Amino acid sequence: MSDIKPKTSWFLRFFISRYASFEFIVGTFLTVTLVLLVLFASILFPDGATKVNLAARLTEPFQSSEFFLGTDPLGRDILARIVHGGKISLLVGLLSALGAVVVGTVVGLYAGYYRGWLDTFVMRFADIQLALPFILLAITIIAIVGPGTDRIIILMIVSQWVQYARLVRGAVLSLREREFVQAARSYGLSNTKIIFSHILPNAMGPLIILLTLNVANNILLESSLTFLGLGADPQTPSWGGMLSEGRNYVQTAWWVTVFPGIAIMLTVLGLNLLGDWLRDELDPLGHTR
Amino acid sequence: MSYKLNSFSRGAVCATLLASALTVLMPAVSFAQTTLNVAQRQDPQNLDPIDTFSLSWGSIASNIFEGLVFRGEDLQLQPGLATSWEFLDNETRIRFNLRKGVAFHNGEPFNADAVKYTFDRLLGAEGEKGPQRSNYTSIKEVVVVDAHTVDFLMERPDPVLITKLAGYGAMIVPPKYIEEVGEEAFDLKPVGTGPFEVAEYTPTVGAKLAKSDTYWNGEAKVDAVNIRFISEDATRIAELLSGGVDIALNIPKPSVETIRENERVDLVAVDGPTVVITRFNTETGITQDPRVRRAIALAIDTDAIIESLLGGLASPISSAQGEKSFGNAPDLTPYAYDPEQARALLAEAGIAPGTEITLDFPGNYDTFREVSQVLAAYLDMVGLKLNVRPHENSVYYNDIQPNGKTGELYYFGWGGWTFDFDNTAYLLYHTGERQNAYISDEKLDALLESQRTTYDTDVRRKALQDVARYSYENTLDLPLYNEATLYGVSTRVEGFVPAPDDRARYMNVTVK
Repeated sequence: MSDIKPKTSWFLRFFISRYASFEFIVGTFLTVTLVLLVLFASILFPDGATKVNLAARLTEPFQSSEFFLGTDPLGRDILARIVHGGKISLLVGLLSALGAVVVGTVVGLYAGYYRGWLDTFVMRFADIQLALPFILLAITIIAIVGPGTDRIIILMIVSQWVQYARLVRGAVLSLREREFVQAARSYGLSNTKIIFSHILPNAMGPLIILLTLNVANNILLESSLTFLGLGADPQTPSWGGMLSEGRNYVQTAWWVTVFPGIAIMLTVLGLNLLGDWLRDELDPLGHTR
Repeated sequence: MSYKLNSFSRGAVCATLLASALTVLMPAVSFAQTTLNVAQRQDPQNLDPIDTFSLSWGSIASNIFEGLVFRGEDLQLQPGLATSWEFLDNETRIRFNLRKGVAFHNGEPFNADAVKYTFDRLLGAEGEKGPQRSNYTSIKEVVVVDAHTVDFLMERPDPVLITKLAGYGAMIVPPKYIEEVGEEAFDLKPVGTGPFEVAEYTPTVGAKLAKSDTYWNGEAKVDAVNIRFISEDATRIAELLSGGVDIALNIPKPSVETIRENERVDLVAVDGPTVVITRFNTETGITQDPRVRRAIALAIDTDAIIESLLGGLASPISSAQGEKSFGNAPDLTPYAYDPEQARALLAEAGIAPGTEITLDFPGNYDTFREVSQVLAAYLDMVGLKLNVRPHENSVYYNDIQPNGKTGELYYFGWGGWTFDFDNTAYLLYHTGERQNAYISDEKLDALLESQRTTYDTDVRRKALQDVARYSYENTLDLPLYNEATLYGVSTRVEGFVPAPDDRARYMNVTVK
């Protein structure tokens, strides 16, 4: 930002800069670790995640290097399953949030910019949809179309684009009256150009914040749905599925549920911290909530 | 910090202590009332015999009601409220001689009128409201011969009838009492001839039973049985471990270790009626080929699944029935684990390694969810890739299974309290049965129909064994295991004999 560069080491500069915040350091660390683990999952644990080994079932954690976090009721390595399971969580979290943000933003931009019947229709529809509890909707739809990760992602997009649409529309409503938009209009720019080059960039801040928080939220949702048996099939390792399979063993084998639980917690914590930091960065005065 | 008491308060304290000691001791000394505390998972919601088929009803009402025939924990049929019976008129009429000197808990005498009333009610309008009537429609009419003799006129032969008279819908009910209090009151506070009478039944909470003083066949050893409905597994186990209940029913598999490790509680297991098998789609896909079906059966080590995953609390089976079942063929041994042979058979059938097949099952059955993944691991070793596909319960039973929408393999779990293979075999193999989407075989149909028209047990046993053998030889199904019925019993309890069919009876139980 600043043009004046004092001759201090990068290390010191880092610590006096705004990146030195607790949220940024911890959030980045957790998120980057997760992404790296997921990216290199198949290299770290080539076949460990689904290999059944009944002889080693319910091995206690911290006893051997082979099964550092112990094994589940089928003798599968819990550490390997957590790392592989992160794939599903991250995939669902990112894809569903991105899908929702794209759909929601486009709808919100047009509704807010053009107003009229489009706006009324879309926003009343949004109200109706917000009134439907997600889990109920999910259970009903999954019962009809059958379970699967792809369906979960679509379901999340369908139910969450509304939030983005409302957020963007709200921003557009005030932006469209601003001087720079009127200037662009008097300049003869097309509506599409105005919407995407002048209005959208100014509405980005809150959008990005909502996005990071939603990724975390969707990871939790995916876990809940898989826990209920609506998500990934039993063979694919996923954190919610691991919790679900382990809950009958809580009294005798705590590690089957505790470790995936911790994985979910750390991931959501990391993303939430990053979201908090972004909010402070993009909107230091707290205009958006 | 110390307190000094003056003489008055010292006296008061002593008096209080003495009084509380007395109140604690008094019931133990003067009444010596013994209560057996039991916890079970489900509330039957209704104690009327004709209104339910729930096992949770059986574990309460087997202590309250009796039938003409008695079947205890050894599954042998014995005289109950009837002392003997004989087949007359070319087996279209069954004559029952009734026990004399038996009374219902309310003092009403047990006689031929009560038997006629019971079956008129079951087969009439009142019975039609419940699920039990359809099990007894082979009876045309019950005719009173004299006060202690009745004749059952049969609509059609029913070889399982005598067994069915020992349970559920055939429990004898008191005519006068029902007329007096009405059907609704009878649901909540029924009266029977059994060793215990209902003291209090509160739906969703529990049932309190009290010893009957007028029971004809001895006397219950405890004064009262307090049955509580605790649906949450973990809570029920916790109550058992802490001594809050003496006997806990419906022990879930994952809690077995917890109970085994506790020295004040014993785990009691007995082979139950339920068998778990996976069926083959014999109509489409690679499982049309009997060699492929046999290969899949040989690729699975069911003994290992039973030993490790089910904690040894199940038995291997050779057909869709357990050892106790009438019609089990003892000469058939469960398919042996032989992956070499499996691979050879698959190669012979021309199945390329890596071929994908699918297993469908209802997703809420946790144990099978685990089993299914072990099956996948075993099949992987012989070169078949098994995809497991869980379904929502009602979708599975109302659509996937009956309409033949399954993959190559699908789950089937079943077991009738009658322990007669007819019950399972007919709906597995007879053409056109709702849950049998694929198998239509004249030989099986003929065998199944032949054993339904005779009372000759030897002929029936042979026919049912032939069904089992035919299925085994053609590998129509992959039999997995026969589940054990599990009870958690406190070491204070003596004389508890576990019932395979959950119809626990508490008459001979004592509590130390």
